[in-house]
Amino acid sequence: MAVSGFEGFEKRLELQFSSHDPDIGIGLRELDFKSLEQVLHQVQCTVVSALGNQHFDSYVLSESSLFVYPTKIIIKTCGTTQLLKSVQPFIHHARTLNLHVTALRYTRGSFIFPEAQPHPHTSFKEEVVYLEDNIPTSLCYRKASVIPSKLTSHSWHVFSAGAVECSDNVPLDLYTVEVCMTDLDQTLARKFFRHPNDGKNGDSAGREMTEITGINRINLNAKICDFAFDPCGYSMNGIDGDRYSTIHVTPEDGFSYASFECVGSIYNDDMADMVKKAVRVFGPGTVSVATTNASQDMCTRIKGAVEQLGMKCRSFSMDEFPAAGTVVFQTFTSRRNRI
Amino acid sequence: MGEEGQVISCHTVDAWNQLIQKDKNKLIVVDFAASWCGPCRAIAPFVAELAKKMPHVTFIKVDVDELKEIAADWGVEAMPTFLFLKDGKTVGKVVGAKKDELQQTIIKHTGNSSTSA
Repeated sequence: MAVSGFEGFEKRLELQFSSHDPDIGIGLRELDFKSLEQVLHQVQCTVVSALGNQHFDSYVLSESSLFVYPTKIIIKTCGTTQLLKSVQPFIHHARTLNLHVTALRYTRGSFIFPEAQPHPHTSFKEEVVYLEDNIPTSLCYRKASVIPSKLTSHSWHVFSAGAVECSDNVPLDLYTVEVCMTDLDQTLARKFFRHPNDGKNGDSAGREMTEITGINRINLNAKICDFAFDPCGYSMNGIDGDRYSTIHVTPEDGFSYASFECVGSIYNDDMADMVKKAVRVFGPGTVSVATTNASQDMCTRIKGAVEQLGMKCRSFSMDEFPAAGTVVFQTFTSRRNRI
Repeated sequence: MGEEGQVISCHTVDAWNQLIQKDKNKLIVVDFAASWCGPCRAIAPFVAELAKKMPHVTFIKVDVDELKEIAADWGVEAMPTFLFLKDGKTVGKVVGAKKDELQQTIIKHTGNSSTSA
């Protein structure tokens, strides 16, 4: 492991809103681009590409992704971004559209370089203190917890808060899967480096990476918005109906990292297969899978799919959170990598 | 129909048919957008700038709700989608608010980025 390098592990924030007005229209999608850019500026990232459909807008950022639905915002940023600084501005902008926040969830894995993180991300305790101070008192059901694994350097941190009316309002049909991979196979990771003088731009180089790595075959229904960074690195958002998927890659040896996140529906059967395809793109030494609101059966199927790649499950833990439901955290290591 | 150097808004099927037929030698860039789509609004100023800098290219904007059939006919499923037409035929497509790809695709089909002779 390198002494210092780019932090691939993301911080993820999900905000749920509601309105007293029955006709929300396009809700948060009404927000003008200047307002979004202002919020992103506070987090220290910018938009590099974007794509939308009738259900939601997706943005590829310089440091991960942003998804804007009529009543939901999901923002995921890596590196040393100050993600939590977006909480107040997002809540403020939503209020101008008559939307009030009803639930908030903040999750992340364990940083490879925790000392490099700025306030308020210097520790989970500090993040929780910051969140408690910056969310409205109406979100009165709160819980912060660190879900452990047998690998002491890999834990899953969760802070979830809900409003009175929302504590039982977890959607029945949708769940989220967050896969974090480290120690990537270097032959596979090399595909995420730009070739000097390739005559391409970030968009066309990204498109090529999507195709040669097979990322475009993970979900054949998804429309993909991809981008390749210079000299290396890759990001993509996939949009499939009202469900997003997103992949981010830090390929450098010594601190290599890749993430795959996807929304699943109980009406579709392909999640375990998609996770398997995604993990196969990177050949990682360590994988963690965190699911939110997924059924026990789906968690078991995902476990089976990752094990089919020759990985061994090291831990399987869970916890319940207000406004989020059950969070299950599993970790796996490849048999070549007995930590 | 609209001044050179501006994005032409196309509101009817007839207008569409006329626009893609005229200026047979020119590259036509169609911006399929929707009013409710954030990424479309994000790239709109950049498209307007390109139109100003490249009067030798025709820029047309189509609202996918207003002209549903045309959007469907040309396979538009996510927005913004930029279609590149020459002589009534598709020569390129960019799906997403991709500034560099948009600019480079125009240059590829017009040979240069400044006003041509």
